[in-house]
Amino acid sequence: MNDATQTVSRPERETSSERGKALANVIFNAGLAALFVGLFIQAGDLPSSMWEPLGAGSFPRLILGALVIFNLAIMVQSMAALRGTDRAASVGARRWFLQRRLAFATLASFAIYALSMPWIGFAMASLLFLLAVQFILGARRGRRLLIAAIIAAIFGLGLYALFSHVFLISLPSGRLW
Amino acid sequence: MPMTDALLSSVEQLFSLATLVSMMIGVVAGVVAAAIPGFTITMAIVLTLPVTFTMPPLQGVATMLAVYVGGGSGGLISAALLGIPGTPSAVATTFDAYPMARKGEPGRALALGIWASFFGALVSAVVLIVAAPPLAMIAVKLGPWEYFSLILFAVTVVASLVGKSILKGLMMSLLGLFIATVGQDPMMGVPRFTFGVDVLAAGIPFLVVLIGIFAVSQLASEVENPTELQQGKPLVSGEIQFRPFAVMREVLSHPGNLLRSSMIGVVIGAVPGAGGSIANLIAYDQAKRASKTPERFGTGIADGVVASESGNSATAGGGLIPMIALGIPGSAVDAVLMAALMVQGISVGPRLIMDNADLAYGMFLAMFLAAVMVLAFCLVSMRWFLRITEIPKSIIVPVVLVCCAVGALALNNRVTDLYLLIGVGLVGYLLAKLDYPLAPLVLGVILGPIAETNLRRALMADEDWTLFLTRPISAGLLILAVLSVAFTVRRILRQRAAVQA
Repeated sequence: MNDATQTVSRPERETSSERGKALANVIFNAGLAALFVGLFIQAGDLPSSMWEPLGAGSFPRLILGALVIFNLAIMVQSMAALRGTDRAASVGARRWFLQRRLAFATLASFAIYALSMPWIGFAMASLLFLLAVQFILGARRGRRLLIAAIIAAIFGLGLYALFSHVFLISLPSGRLW
Repeated sequence: MPMTDALLSSVEQLFSLATLVSMMIGVVAGVVAAAIPGFTITMAIVLTLPVTFTMPPLQGVATMLAVYVGGGSGGLISAALLGIPGTPSAVATTFDAYPMARKGEPGRALALGIWASFFGALVSAVVLIVAAPPLAMIAVKLGPWEYFSLILFAVTVVASLVGKSILKGLMMSLLGLFIATVGQDPMMGVPRFTFGVDVLAAGIPFLVVLIGIFAVSQLASEVENPTELQQGKPLVSGEIQFRPFAVMREVLSHPGNLLRSSMIGVVIGAVPGAGGSIANLIAYDQAKRASKTPERFGTGIADGVVASESGNSATAGGGLIPMIALGIPGSAVDAVLMAALMVQGISVGPRLIMDNADLAYGMFLAMFLAAVMVLAFCLVSMRWFLRITEIPKSIIVPVVLVCCAVGALALNNRVTDLYLLIGVGLVGYLLAKLDYPLAPLVLGVILGPIAETNLRRALMADEDWTLFLTRPISAGLLILAVLSVAFTVRRILRQRAAVQA
């Protein structure tokens, strides 16, 4: 699924450019259709069963086959929509990303948070993550930064204590210490 | 287990101190979470799930139901005081509750909504208790053919109800069904589509998909707009006066509206895929049509608040009907409840009422109890509600994301689940931006293994494919599935024609 998501990440802008959206859909559905065809072929190697007419591969192939058809249908629809839009209009992928920079920054921080957790542990990682995202989202100085720090401390350490001591769910404690 | 024994046993389990306390916490959490714009009821329930792992089954489910019922009322708070629906279920509530609050009666608006919610939940619990057991009796007799057709029907209804394009809706359902096939094959245990990658070996856990789609990607879209992050001051200032019992009499003086809206909520809740977010609008619309003074709707009248709030609360019990009777969740929230039971090792389906009668009755009673608790909590704490809605998103979003991480880790304590969560969250975010509805995907993931197992069982019993079309119930369900698609296509074509004209 990864290659498909990367293809879609490029060109799109929501509000003003119908064209960008249609184009993104065409590329996205083409990518997905190719992916599903590949998986469909791969599913053919799954073993059949002595006990039943359908083996491990039949149901996935049924679904994948239908998915390919639906993707192609959406692609045709989007291409029609694409033809209907103004050719000169820019796709505006750059602007689309810039407009949503906070959302992507938040998701990126979340990814870094997950990657660092096995090393520095849940409590420390959460504390840093909470502080970083609040900073990104606007708690830059003074009182708001102080509140952000307090929230980070309470929830970072508090959730760790709550889950590991009260609910007995063990969270990563960190490999570095 | 005879019915009375089961009932007594469930009462005993439900009225234990631990359960009452965790339900009360659940109610408070549900109300508070749903009152915060950007924090949906589904998110709250998804995040409650990992906490219930260590509880006994009934306590776990009762706690989640408490969050659910609490959430139904919480959405009302920001709808009435800020004019922003705290959850999609409260959209129609803003039509009349907000004008009423601005006209200087915020207390009356809130109290009306709270009482209407309470009666809505009550009606739906009654219908659930009456309807679920006989439906389950019929459902036990259904064969794998009927089950497979039922799932097809559920999937098409969901796809046609949400989103703008039925093609995209159906594609998302199929994608969900496909995601569910990753990991081990349900009948033979053969690994499928894992490509030797450790992260995928155990499949993509349902909970991870759920948190990724309904929390992570949702939260990402909450922080898109930098100007919206600094939340404005509530437009309704301070002083909230309320006279709960006078308002209760006022709500009860609209019995027709109350009952009609609640029944609309129950029926819509029982249809897969529809839910509170649709019920409140339809209930409001129907109340307006039935009213002698439809022109006054939208100006801040009691009827509008009562219709919307009793309608959305009643979906809670309605949604449990197909889940308890058939093992098919009616909405994302019910899917989470079902996942909670499955984690506890309880198989959900028509045999639930027979094999785990105490649990089923316990769930019915928990609905009542939660409705009472919400009422009590809301009436006591109403004065502080204004405060809750003032918490800025820059605090909510990171804190909830950390809770998401806890939720993903709590299931198996695997950090790889966290990586999957981020992947699902990102994909979900991009899909939402491309106008793909996400609810069908989630239902597809939970229905996938049930669909596959039943399809394969059906063909194992008899290799004849045509049985799906010749067994009457199965054929009827398939016809309904085709009709639901056909009607949606017709509706969309008409809308398109109307736009062009």
